Amino acid sequence: MSAPPPRRLEPSEAGAPLAVLLPFRPPPPAAFAWPRLRLVHLVGIAGLVLVVGGAAHAQASGARLSALEVIWRWLPLLMWGFGFNILMSVLSMALGTAAGLGLGLLQIGENRLLRRVAWAATQFFRNSPWLVLLFFAMFMIPFQFTVFGHTMPLPDWVKAVIGFSLPVMANMSEIVRGAVASLPSGQWEAAESLAFSRRQTMWRIILPQCVKRMLPPWMNLYSLITMATVQASIVGVSEMLTLTSQVHAAEGGRPDLLAPLYGFAMLCFFLYCYPIERFTLYLERRFQLNQ
Amino acid sequence: MKTLLIAAGLALALGAVPAQADVLDSVKKKGVLVVGVKADYKPFGFRDPSGAIVGIEPDLAADVAKRLGVKLELIPVVSSNRIEFLQQGKIDLMIATMSDKPERRKVTLAIDPPYYSDSVNILLSKKAKVAGWDDLKGKVLCGTSGAWYNKEVSAKYGAEVKAFDGSEKPLFALKGGECIGYLYDQTFVQGKLLDTEWNTEFAMPLPGIMEAPWILAVAPGEDAFAKFMTDTTLDWMKTGFILAEEKKWGITPTDYAKRMHDKHKGS
Repeated sequence: MSAPPPRRLEPSEAGAPLAVLLPFRPPPPAAFAWPRLRLVHLVGIAGLVLVVGGAAHAQASGARLSALEVIWRWLPLLMWGFGFNILMSVLSMALGTAAGLGLGLLQIGENRLLRRVAWAATQFFRNSPWLVLLFFAMFMIPFQFTVFGHTMPLPDWVKAVIGFSLPVMANMSEIVRGAVASLPSGQWEAAESLAFSRRQTMWRIILPQCVKRMLPPWMNLYSLITMATVQASIVGVSEMLTLTSQVHAAEGGRPDLLAPLYGFAMLCFFLYCYPIERFTLYLERRFQLNQ
Repeated sequence: MKTLLIAAGLALALGAVPAQADVLDSVKKKGVLVVGVKADYKPFGFRDPSGAIVGIEPDLAADVAKRLGVKLELIPVVSSNRIEFLQQGKIDLMIATMSDKPERRKVTLAIDPPYYSDSVNILLSKKAKVAGWDDLKGKVLCGTSGAWYNKEVSAKYGAEVKAFDGSEKPLFALKGGECIGYLYDQTFVQGKLLDTEWNTEFAMPLPGIMEAPWILAVAPGEDAFAKFMTDTTLDWMKTGFILAEEKKWGITPTDYAKRMHDKHKGS
């Protein structure tokens, strides 16, 4: 059995050990890249242009404003409404994340009773329709409350934020629990053998490692809650969808404006949520390789 | 109610702060009147491009605020939350296209006389030779299925009513020439006629029939405010303010508004 003659080494490889003997280094993660335009994107964009522009073209005759002109005229108001959606999504995410972290930690805590209660709360809010939770928040919370003789108004949108933060809290609780459970038990054992207390283990060893595991699902949740904020229109909060229907009414309820106006709302949410989704995907890929 | 009054009287007598202060007083103290109006009902209450709510009802609300000497705050309401807002005290007064129904009178304090009235009317093609409701015999009208007046109109005036779902389909059929007119709520027809798409070929030449009055409402128990609003409404009728508002926003003055003006202008 004669071995083939050894390949002549390239100058750069001279003296280097065989590749298999090198320590394993994961390939560097691909840098975040904007998706390249593919056919599917073109189709989507063309569709939206058709919705917005096509209707405009067909109806531009006579004294009536075309759909694009209508959208342009109402743009400040619609954008104000959209800003409201973003505000509601950010606040409910902040509130829900803080509460969810607490609930999630209770779920994996040592106190049996608290664990049960936290589990029950998580399951309850996670498995209730968001709209039902929103209705509860709208009708159970008073529109103003009095603290030390000062009457503080509680506007509708604040109540909606509370309503949206409930499902965020429950989902966040599960994200925390899942992330902690997904860490290899060796981490706990090693920490214990190094005489870390449970609290120290949790805060110094487990949770820091969980952060990057939790980030992608957390951002996913954010995308979802952003898109869910339009449900606030059902309970009368003046956000983008409410304003869109009011704009439609103010324009005389022309049926040909329905698609362009709602298409515009869709486009705004798409343009906001799609980059978040891409970034989440990137983070997921990146963290997968490093662990 | 009586026990409530007695309790309130006792509370006052004892020098305690009354739990339910008179809305009229609290409005004056706050300096703001909060009125619930529609924001999706052109021309009664709708948005302008700056986001402000404008229309006939916001104008009425502004007039009430002016009479009270306070600032006005408009809150957009929809049919499903307007009564709740009033009961909660979130709005002091409701001017939101609410038709008069017995069950609504139970949960709010309705102001009499009704400030406005919707009725049943026809968005009629200008080519149709119809001068009165009696000319409709044997003619074909489009309608919305489920509207309670379809049957009555066909029984009383002998018109054939072709019913469609919703309000877009009958309008489409009307454009397609399937009927000479669309039988529907007068306020809706008035709203359509603001649009050049409709007002070149169609009109509303007939007087409305089967009136359905709209009521202003305040929270139950606010008798002083209700009295004030009754006086205000009567004054609107006397001065022809509502008629002027209809003209200002470009709709055909309703029979009800004209009649009320005629009735009260001498007083």
